[in-house]
This record gives sequence, structure tokens and C-alpha cells, in this order.
Amino acid sequence: MSRTNRKAAVVGVGHTDWVGDWARVRAGENPTDINGYAAFAFIDALKDAGLKRDDIDGLICGPWNPYERMGELLKLNVRWGDNADAVLAVLSAVQAIETGMAEVVALVYGNDQRSVGTQYGGPQAMGGDAFLSYVYHAPWGLTSQGALYALMFQRFRALYGFEESDLGHVAVAQRASAQHNPNAIMQGRPISLEDYLGSRYICEPLHLFDYCLINDGGVALIIAEAERARAITDRPVYIDAVGRYDLNENATTLEPRLTEFYRPAQQKVAEQVFNRAGIGPDDVDVFQVYDSFSVHVPLALEGYGYCPVGGAGKFLRESGIGLDGKLPTNTSGGHLSETYMQGWNHQVEAVRQLRGGCGSRQVEGARYVHYSSDVAGKAMSIIYGN
Amino acid sequence: MAMTSETSQTIPNRVLGLYDKPFWQLLAETRALHLQRCGSCGAFRYPPGPVCHECLSPDYAWTAVSGGGSIMSWVIFHRQYLDLYPAPYNVVAVRLDEGPIIISNLTGAEPEGSWIDRRVEMVPVPIGAEILPRFALVR
Ligand SMILES: [Zn+2]
Repeated sequence: MSRTNRKAAVVGVGHTDWVGDWARVRAGENPTDINGYAAFAFIDALKDAGLKRDDIDGLICGPWNPYERMGELLKLNVRWGDNADAVLAVLSAVQAIETGMAEVVALVYGNDQRSVGTQYGGPQAMGGDAFLSYVYHAPWGLTSQGALYALMFQRFRALYGFEESDLGHVAVAQRASAQHNPNAIMQGRPISLEDYLGSRYICEPLHLFDYCLINDGGVALIIAEAERARAITDRPVYIDAVGRYDLNENATTLEPRLTEFYRPAQQKVAEQVFNRAGIGPDDVDVFQVYDSFSVHVPLALEGYGYCPVGGAGKFLRESGIGLDGKLPTNTSGGHLSETYMQGWNHQVEAVRQLRGGCGSRQVEGARYVHYSSDVAGKAMSIIYGN
Repeated sequence: MAMTSETSQTIPNRVLGLYDKPFWQLLAETRALHLQRCGSCGAFRYPPGPVCHECLSPDYAWTAVSGGGSIMSWVIFHRQYLDLYPAPYNVVAVRLDEGPIIISNLTGAEPEGSWIDRRVEMVPVPIGAEILPRFALVR
């Protein structure tokens, strides 16, 4: 991965009305389809950037949006195109801009997982084509991605004396932050640690509140070459560094999860991105963690050096990840309490925190946001700066 | 977890690629767990595959393993996804003495307290006409 050094910046963010989409889908309506969610988010992001459609010369679609049809719907003829998940879409945009393949790239994502009943557990669980571990152990009843994190967490907590209530602080803190976010589906429904501990297990030791929401919606980002970005907006949010390290060895039998909890991958990525951005963990004002399950958060706190190995329980109890904590994390509520846009909503929140103007959830004077995802031991990070 | 042979049941959703089939055939024939052992460096492979992940040699022989191991982690499912697995049921990760981790179920008595590092041995459980390898605590 090449050094980025402020070659590209986010100039526009947009999304659908997640709260409204949630209510309508639960009432049995279909507000739109998967490409509609992406299209509405794109319109919102164009407006946010103050750009015209003709300014766009690159298009990256989310993993579920068919690329050609999406480009057809938006009438975008472009000189760069791709399909990618949230973090790889940002990486792809940066690479396209750095190599001169594009100057203003639209990243569009839609998801209709709630209305079409996408299975994240059970015999038709999604993702099996990419990750053999998601399907290989079905003969023994291991059929859900949540169970993989439950297995990981069970061993993690035994090795480090991490308590069930320590993990509860993740769900509780993110739910508290979501109370300050009008876009959060769980605004108006705060939970206490007692609520967490009293909630049912899904795959023990994980509780209901350790699992992400499942909802429909869309997100779009517009990323531009840095000089062009400064002409477009007076509040560009720069991509200071990107990094990646994948643990593939013995991945199907969960060895990288169960022995070192992805830590070696995260440590390598930490070194890459902090060096490239010229900062350290202490300089990070807001941490955004891909949180399909709450377990991602303590693992990332340790893996990226925000606390010592084995220190995540103490960090969650004493330092805190809430808006008034030492390291505000998933300040929008994240996947657990805002919206499950598979990492895309975290990019929107990173940009909003660095622009300022997040109202009562604004982290004052935020200069750097670190986004981390560690899906199935593929550790990736982005450092955003303003 | 039900201990009895579930004759009307089938093993759900097995991945049956070219290299997986002998794993299940040998289990059904011998009631013993066999893994591919590298003909060059001696490493055991699981899941089965075309080359040794240690030395990239394609050579191997299907070799019976001891069936002994220890529990690395465990979970309890509180939701049913499959006919064979009414909730609650357990899933364990077992480190075989030969090296690989295998995901399975603990059958029979369950330990008090933590299950981690408990010694277990493979138990061949008939499911329909097939054998499913599960594990039981070593007494
Ligand atoms: Zn070998």
C-alpha cells in the first residue's frame, strides 16, 4: 500500500433516512430496492458536496450493487469503476486518484438485507463463498458469524480475566452516544448495564445487545483529489493513511481468531497507518470500529495499542469509549445502535466529526479519526484528518 | 446434547469437495478420524486440500489420528438453525494432539466451570448412514 499523504479527501457524504426506512420496512413496506437506496444516498452526497453529476469521473459500488446497472441508473460514464466493501472502496478510490485514473470518485452503497431477509446465521448464511469458515462447520451446528465471535470471546475472556460486564460497556456506551444522533435507529431507547446483563443470550456468551442491527438503507461518499477537494469545499476531510494485513493461515479452523485474536494483523496495520499519518494512538480523537459484534471493540483497542494486551476490560470500565470517555468510539452508535451499513456509516461519522457540527455528540476539536475493520482476520484501517 | 443415534436424520450441509469426501468415507468405514498427512514434511492438513500449507508438497497419505485433544473454546447456541440441533446445543473448538483445530460438539457430560483445556477424545456418532465425529470428556 503506497503512502497516501493527503492526496485525496472526502468532499461529500450522503445517506438515506435510516430511521424512516427502518419504520417502513418493519411496517411491511418496501421504500425502494437495493439500487434505490444507493441512488438516494448518491443524490444526498452530491448535494452535500455542491457538485453536479457531470463532475464525477469514477464510480465504486458497494458489494451488493451490480456495477453496470448502478452506473446506468445514475447515468455515469466514468474512467474508473469498481465493486468493493466500505474500507476497500475508500482504498480503491485513493488508488484511482493517486494513479491519475480518476479525480472525483462517487462511492455508492445500498442494502435491503432487512426486507429480503438476508441470513447471517443458518444454513443459507451469506459470505460462505468468500470465507470457508462461515460454512465449513455447519455439520456441527456452527452456522452463524456471531458464533465465531462468541467462540473467540469465550477464550479471550478466560485468558485475560475479561468479564461479561466489561463487554457490556461497549453496547451501553454506543447506545448512549446514539441518543445524541437523530439518524440512529436506537435513539430514544437507551440501555443500562443491568439491561445488558439481563438480556437473552443468542450464542452464549454473547447477548442480544452484542449483535448489530439488521436494516435497509444506503450510503454514498464522494472522494476527490486533494487540490480539487480544496476547490470544492472549505472543509475537506483528508485520507491520511490506509493500511491492510490479512491473516489467512489456518483461517478456516479459526486458528487466527482463537490463538491471538487477530492481534498480529492489527499490530502490523497500526504500524503502517500511524507511521504514514505521522501520529500515534494518543493523537486519535475518535475511533470508529466495524462492529458487527461488540467483541470487535475490545480486540481493536488492544490490537491497535490503545491499551495494553489484556487491558481492554480495564479500559472499557475505567477510561471509557463513550462521548465523555478517553477514546470516544463509534460515536454515532455504530452498527449496534445507529445503522448496519456494513462500515459505510462509520465513514460518514468520521467525516462529520472532523467537519465539526455533530451537535451534542461532537468530540470537541477532533483532528484525527481512525477507522478499523477486522472482518475474518483481514485487518484494515484508514486514518482521516482535517 | 442428544446422545442417541438419530437414524432418520442427516448430517447438515457438509462441504463435500474433492478432498473432503475421503475424510467422511474413512470415518464411516473405520469410525476413526483420518487426516491427510504430508508425505514430505509430516504436517497434518485440516480442512483437507490439494497441497501442504507448510511445504506446498502435493504428496499425502490419509492417516488415522489419535482422536485425543483439548478444548480451546466453547459456545452454547440458544437458537435453532438446523433440524439436527434443537437449542440449546454446544459447539467446541478442539486442538487435536496432532496439531489442527477441529470444530465439533461435546457429547455426554459437560464440565463444571470453564471448559477450556479439558481433555477430550473423539466419539463416532452415527447420524443416519453417516458418522459425525464428536468429542467426549476424558475421565
Ligand atoms: Zn508438508
